[in-house]
Amino acid sequence: MRPDNWTRRQILGAISAGLVLPSAALGFGADSRFHVAEIDLGRGSLHRPQAWKRMLHEIIQATSIEANPISVRVDPKDPALFEHPFAVLVGDDALPPLEDEAIHQLRRYLSYGGFLLIDDASGTGTGAFAKSARDLVRRVFPTRPLSPLPGDHALYRSFFLLDRPVGRTRGTGVIEGVQLGPTAPLMFCPCDLSGALDRGADGRNTIPLAGGESQRREAVKLSINLGLYALTSNYKHDIAHVVELMREGRIE
Amino acid sequence: MMDWWFNGPLSPQGELTWGLPLGWIALALGIGFLILFLTSRRQGEGRLVELVCSALALSTVIWGIADPIWFEADGRTEPGRTVVLVDGSRSMGVEKERGTRALRVLQDIGGDRDVYTFGEGLKAGPPQDWTGSGTDIGEALDAVADRYLGQTLRSIVLITDGIDRGGLRANLAGENDTVVPALPGPLTVVQVGETISGIDNAVSDIQTGGFAFLRTPFPLTALVEGAPESELAVTLRREGRLVDTQRVTLDASGQGNVRFEVTPNAVGRFVWEISVPDAVDDAVPGNNSHAVVVRVVRDRTRVLQVCGSPSYDQKFLRLFLKDDPSVDLVSFFILRTHEDFASGWYPDELSLIAFPYERLFTEQLETFDVVIFQNFDFKPYFERDPNGLLRNMVSFVRSGGALVMIGGDRSFDLGEYAGTPIEGVLPVKLGVKGELANEKPFRPVLADGGNQHPVTRIAGTIEDSEAAWARLPNLDGMNRNRGLAEGAAALLTHPELTSEGEPMPVLAVREIGEGRTMALMSDASWRWSFSEAATGRGNQAYLRFWKGALRWLVADPDDRRVVVQPSAENVLLGQELRVTTTIRDAGFNPVEGVRYSGVVEAPDGSRTMVEGITDTSGIGVSLIQPTVQGAHRVRVTSDDQGAAETVFSVVTRDPELAEVSADGEFLARLAAAYGSRGAFRGPGESIDPLIDPTAVRVIDEQRSVSLASMPILALIFGLFGGFAWWTRRRHGGL
Repeated sequence: MRPDNWTRRQILGAISAGLVLPSAALGFGADSRFHVAEIDLGRGSLHRPQAWKRMLHEIIQATSIEANPISVRVDPKDPALFEHPFAVLVGDDALPPLEDEAIHQLRRYLSYGGFLLIDDASGTGTGAFAKSARDLVRRVFPTRPLSPLPGDHALYRSFFLLDRPVGRTRGTGVIEGVQLGPTAPLMFCPCDLSGALDRGADGRNTIPLAGGESQRREAVKLSINLGLYALTSNYKHDIAHVVELMREGRIE
Repeated sequence: MMDWWFNGPLSPQGELTWGLPLGWIALALGIGFLILFLTSRRQGEGRLVELVCSALALSTVIWGIADPIWFEADGRTEPGRTVVLVDGSRSMGVEKERGTRALRVLQDIGGDRDVYTFGEGLKAGPPQDWTGSGTDIGEALDAVADRYLGQTLRSIVLITDGIDRGGLRANLAGENDTVVPALPGPLTVVQVGETISGIDNAVSDIQTGGFAFLRTPFPLTALVEGAPESELAVTLRREGRLVDTQRVTLDASGQGNVRFEVTPNAVGRFVWEISVPDAVDDAVPGNNSHAVVVRVVRDRTRVLQVCGSPSYDQKFLRLFLKDDPSVDLVSFFILRTHEDFASGWYPDELSLIAFPYERLFTEQLETFDVVIFQNFDFKPYFERDPNGLLRNMVSFVRSGGALVMIGGDRSFDLGEYAGTPIEGVLPVKLGVKGELANEKPFRPVLADGGNQHPVTRIAGTIEDSEAAWARLPNLDGMNRNRGLAEGAAALLTHPELTSEGEPMPVLAVREIGEGRTMALMSDASWRWSFSEAATGRGNQAYLRFWKGALRWLVADPDDRRVVVQPSAENVLLGQELRVTTTIRDAGFNPVEGVRYSGVVEAPDGSRTMVEGITDTSGIGVSLIQPTVQGAHRVRVTSDDQGAAETVFSVVTRDPELAEVSADGEFLARLAAAYGSRGAFRGPGESIDPLIDPTAVRVIDEQRSVSLASMPILALIFGLFGGFAWWTRRRHGGL
């Protein structure tokens, strides 16, 4: 029932009920709500907390997800990594080689349900950061290389229907991922998504985009889809959804 | 007088036998004469006379020890006997009149006669029941000839319906001359039971795969019989309820096949019965239906996961459910609520579909085994008839479905379930006043009995399970509740919070009707997976918890606390069947020493009692041997533990029952085969058995006389022994 349909009696009833109704919780504990952990590798990696807070705010506004709009920095060797099932690694230059301990923990993290987005802040997908990130992925999953996600991947329909990934740039035009069973717990974004989302302390966008605000809007949509995909994985590939979307002509 | 000295008259045709083995007799002789030799005098007069007399006296002693017996055999003749053979096979029991008439004929014959029952070998005496499984008249007549070999019988009376399963009937029906058993007397064949003419509709056989999968179609194919080229309406019933009807046209031989395809919607053993209608003057209405039991098993557990808000908890549960090959998962996540509509995104940008709540919670609900409400508040979505949909959920649970409610800010009291039909099936009581949730992190503790329950038994031993729970990470908070609902059990409780004076349940379960429910008052069970993985121990605790929960929730009939199982769903007539009763406690541990009792009810209403006491494995076994074709229902009760039931079917088309019309033609032909020494008596005719007045039998007589105790032996011993003693003393011996 919408408020504009309410009668005066109903509105008064609701107000009086609100006075006596017990308080309701918004999820149990902030740590259990969706949030972001930035993996800190020092040289080569970047820290863009405002970008991820923006993503989380957009998720809160657009979706039913209870998110906690915070971004924390985590060392890949720190067991606290497992407190944060959604992690990002942003960089614009070659990453330092990781210790074996960190590689093992990352493998365990991703194998048991964690999600890692690697965002190439250079926006090329082919530079020094991309090369060192690929080396990192190869060490974490020696037998499972990064490969382009197909156009009908669940990432592109987890909330919005997307044709292609867009960030500050268009990068190589595809997001790559490592597939573990039915899900892809690690994704490589070549188009500087965090650059498109980043904001200054005054709330203004840090980096102007060539495509203007419509391009930034697409970047926001991609970030929301990433959050949804991290939580629901291939939910949008369930047969009930595919059939309904096809019936409505929204996918082919 | 002479006979007295020899214990009676001795015939010269007799034969001497020895009671003592010859070896022992020789040994006694040797010892005796050695003693004689050692004690006899070596010199002096009369020595020879004394020796001879002593030897003769000693011989009488040894004779007595050797136990000689005089054995005489002789015989005398008497008039021949009358032998009556009564058919004791099952076909004699299909009509009350048939068996009754057979006994009446037996009574009418009267006099001194030897009575035998045939139908499963030849047994002395009249039939006690009609349970013989194979009528073989030729074998019975042969057995009589063997038993009375060397004699002639005054009369042989055969009482039967003529439904012969041996070769005699077929042979007599053939073109060639058939050799009938040579009999030692005239044969009178008495037919009992009427020869029935007309059409016999029948279901001859049903073929199934033996078992079927839940919600997967399987075929039942039946062979039906009736009038050639006629049309029959064939019906299929499940547990007595009509499922389908098909019409089939029979071929020129009066046979036809009909195939039903059915989709079972419940797990367990079920009776499927195929039947055809009675024809006008149906020869045997009893064979117009045929029942089989098909065991329906679950190949995959079908789970509906409904989540009000994507979260880490939902993510990890979905990962588990999707990864389990035994689970068929259907998920519906609320990705956007009414409050999100103002966020500025156009509907056609979104990939969202409408939540088909009406379809899910009405027509599709029964297709699921488990429904999970994960932090799901129904009110914003169940726009039409919300109470009706929730009542559907209650019916779903009571009829065998499972419901799991997982905590969160949209669940339990926060989801406004208090006072709804759902509350009536939940394991915890709602209607909390004041603070509806407690957000303080806590580590739940195992409740009494929680360490044994299959849901919370997450390690091989109780000790390991308790250790695992003690080291699992904290939960982030919980939905408060007012304690356990009636009949529910707490498995995990809060270490500090209480409700109604007891530790507040964090995880609780409840059996209600045929179904089960589980309440997990937290939305942070994901930490049992992910935080545990951080320590390098993997996520076994989480996986075992949810696997155990699913297994307990779907509780197939064979996984309940009291279970009764037949050793086979379909057995042959007369085959021994094991009925196994298993009794477990609330923790699913076997219970020893429980007395149970029950009854096996046959389709004819007859009952067989079963009872026993469970062994150390919690198992009791009863053996039964069903004698009636059709579906049997087994019900077992234990006063303390509950009750269970199952079904099995006796499926063999009993040859004794496949044909029940008496075969007078064969019996007449059999009597005729003996010429003047054979006579046939049809139903209603006087028995008047053929008699051979010259028949005699020789009575063997045997007589044995003990020669060891003959009085003459004492006389001989006294005379010769005394004379030897007198001779010895007279000549100076001592």
